[in-house]
Amino acid sequence: MLLIALLAVPLAGATLLLRAGGRAATVVHGLTALATVGLALAVAVTVVRQTTLLALGGFLRADALSAWMVGLIGLVAGLAAVEAPHYAHGAARRFYPFFHLFVFTMLVAVTTDDLGFMWVAVEGTTLASVFLVNFERTRASLEASYKYVLICSVGIAVAFLGTVLIYFADVTRFGDAEHALRWTTLQHLAPGLPPRIVELAFVFLLVGYGTKAGLAPMHTWLPDAHSEAPAPVSAMMSGILLAIGVYAILRFKPIVDAAAGPAVARRLLLWLGLASMAVAAAFLWNPRNYKRMLAYSSVEHLGLVSVGVAFGGPWGVAGAVLHIANHALAKSVLFLLSGRIRTAYASMEIEAVQGLLARLPVSGPLFFAAMLALLGLPPFGLFVSEVMIIGAGFSGGHVAAAVTALVLLVIAFAGLLRALQRMLHGEAAGRGTERRWAAVPMVAALILLLLSGLAWPPGLAGALAAITGVIAP
Amino acid sequence: MRDLSNFLAFLGLVTTLLMVWRQSRPARVRLLAVQSLLLAAQAVAIAAFTARYGLLLVAVALVVVKAWWIPRALARMGQGAPPRPLEPGRSAGTRLLVAGVLVVGAYALMLPVSASSALPTRGGIPLAFAMALVGLYACVTGRDVVGQILGFLMFENGIFALGLLAAYGLPGLVEAGVFLDVLVVVLVAEGLVMQIRHEHATLDVDLLRELRG
Repeated sequence: MLLIALLAVPLAGATLLLRAGGRAATVVHGLTALATVGLALAVAVTVVRQTTLLALGGFLRADALSAWMVGLIGLVAGLAAVEAPHYAHGAARRFYPFFHLFVFTMLVAVTTDDLGFMWVAVEGTTLASVFLVNFERTRASLEASYKYVLICSVGIAVAFLGTVLIYFADVTRFGDAEHALRWTTLQHLAPGLPPRIVELAFVFLLVGYGTKAGLAPMHTWLPDAHSEAPAPVSAMMSGILLAIGVYAILRFKPIVDAAAGPAVARRLLLWLGLASMAVAAAFLWNPRNYKRMLAYSSVEHLGLVSVGVAFGGPWGVAGAVLHIANHALAKSVLFLLSGRIRTAYASMEIEAVQGLLARLPVSGPLFFAAMLALLGLPPFGLFVSEVMIIGAGFSGGHVAAAVTALVLLVIAFAGLLRALQRMLHGEAAGRGTERRWAAVPMVAALILLLLSGLAWPPGLAGALAAITGVIAP
Repeated sequence: MRDLSNFLAFLGLVTTLLMVWRQSRPARVRLLAVQSLLLAAQAVAIAAFTARYGLLLVAVALVVVKAWWIPRALARMGQGAPPRPLEPGRSAGTRLLVAGVLVVGAYALMLPVSASSALPTRGGIPLAFAMALVGLYACVTGRDVVGQILGFLMFENGIFALGLLAAYGLPGLVEAGVFLDVLVVVLVAEGLVMQIRHEHATLDVDLLRELRG
């Protein structure tokens, strides 16, 4: 029931918003977002405290991993929804319906048990968000949205090829066509699936969903789409859409591990992860545009998540899952603030931004704090998850890979720090005034990051252990 | 059954290779329609021989969406633009050679798959996979928007054929999702192409090079 309500609310909101305009649209948008956040957190808490949720005869299913993603989608969508009215202004009908449809498709992707339908939902996320990327209808946003829809559709079609092969392997061996793509079924049958076909399928799945996750070398759509989309959309794309690509890969990993042995997925994830970190570090050494800088930093962090999953063990997987959440919170706050910075300075160039702390007395300090979090400095959560991942590499005997990851992290760190310094220093063109209350949700997100860095709230360790049990049983 | 399905799969690959060879855009769009009709015929053949009448619905959807509506949309997108590229690109010979290599690679990759299938349609599996690979190649190297979308649709057709030949199609819900997906991608692409033509007065993707670094 809870799961059905969770999906029904954003879908109903999107439908209503197709017709609403003006103030009514803002009110419906706010109520829909509020209900979505509430239901998402309710699902997350219920699953962590009690048990797996099922609906529609098991077609919808939320275990610990799904609940983690649902909670994250709720938090980031809530953050983005607060900022959205500044952008939807004047064109609410082209913004709000797609915003909530986007949230809906992401929620479906992480709550369905059917891996075929998950594929449909993941492709749905691209189709729902492409209009949002092109919201400003400039030449650059047009180019970005075309690249986005083409590269992601092709990528996701590659993942479909992988899904077809898994289905083929299952049906040929066991014959039950109705439930052949159900994750719960596949997990039981995985040890009996033909290893070579599953291995081949995983290569396609990794390339396909890796495209959505922004892993190099399939990341080329990401910096364009993230920098051209309006800030609330960039926040959702970078914070959670990329994580959904990783989620899809994580769903297939236990099946592949059981059918073909754990070495296959481990090797591929490690190489893709390190490649992504290297590509990102090369760009981050000297970035010029701060939204593209944040976008490339996402490539880096998703690469690190992939490396963490590859390292495996309780620390690697838990660290990677925690890192997904930490990155989602920090990066969505940063993208939302980048929207405010862009409005204040009328530019996305780092050169143009001077004296940020004085010019934006609320957003400036918040940007500074969130950047420190993103850099992986204590006491923020990203420090903890990065230590967990790198530590898992050393303790698991992947010393060379762990050292490489560490070096790449340091390079990106130096570049980001330098860019931050350039934005903070210099004379401000004037003192701005900002309303304080509008920053409350972002401060809340930063407090969550402090909690995951300093004192884990009760239940977090248990939730991470449960998720590790799902991904690496 | 086996001979018919193999023959249809073979014809499908031939249309794919012809699409790589031909330069004229209207001709390639027509070939896509033919390829989709062949796919529909394949579905009808399987439905008739195995009494899986759900596949007839799939065949109808294929004819309506992929053989009729999408080619029309592609023709609208290309309207007014010169039917073939003005500057010579890579020669048809080179592209066909690459496609040939991909076909051989497809056979090698699909060996374990067709070996573990007991269906009478298994002979076509490598052909379908080759269709998909060649489509992907055409998409990645496409020189204008319509060319890239044509490549994407060939790729999609190849995967669809693979599902059909290897497992008699996928569950209905997924199949429906795939159709919706193709439909919306073409719709979105059409909207964007109209906007691109409005802005740039061309279909050439080389102009889409503003965002760098």
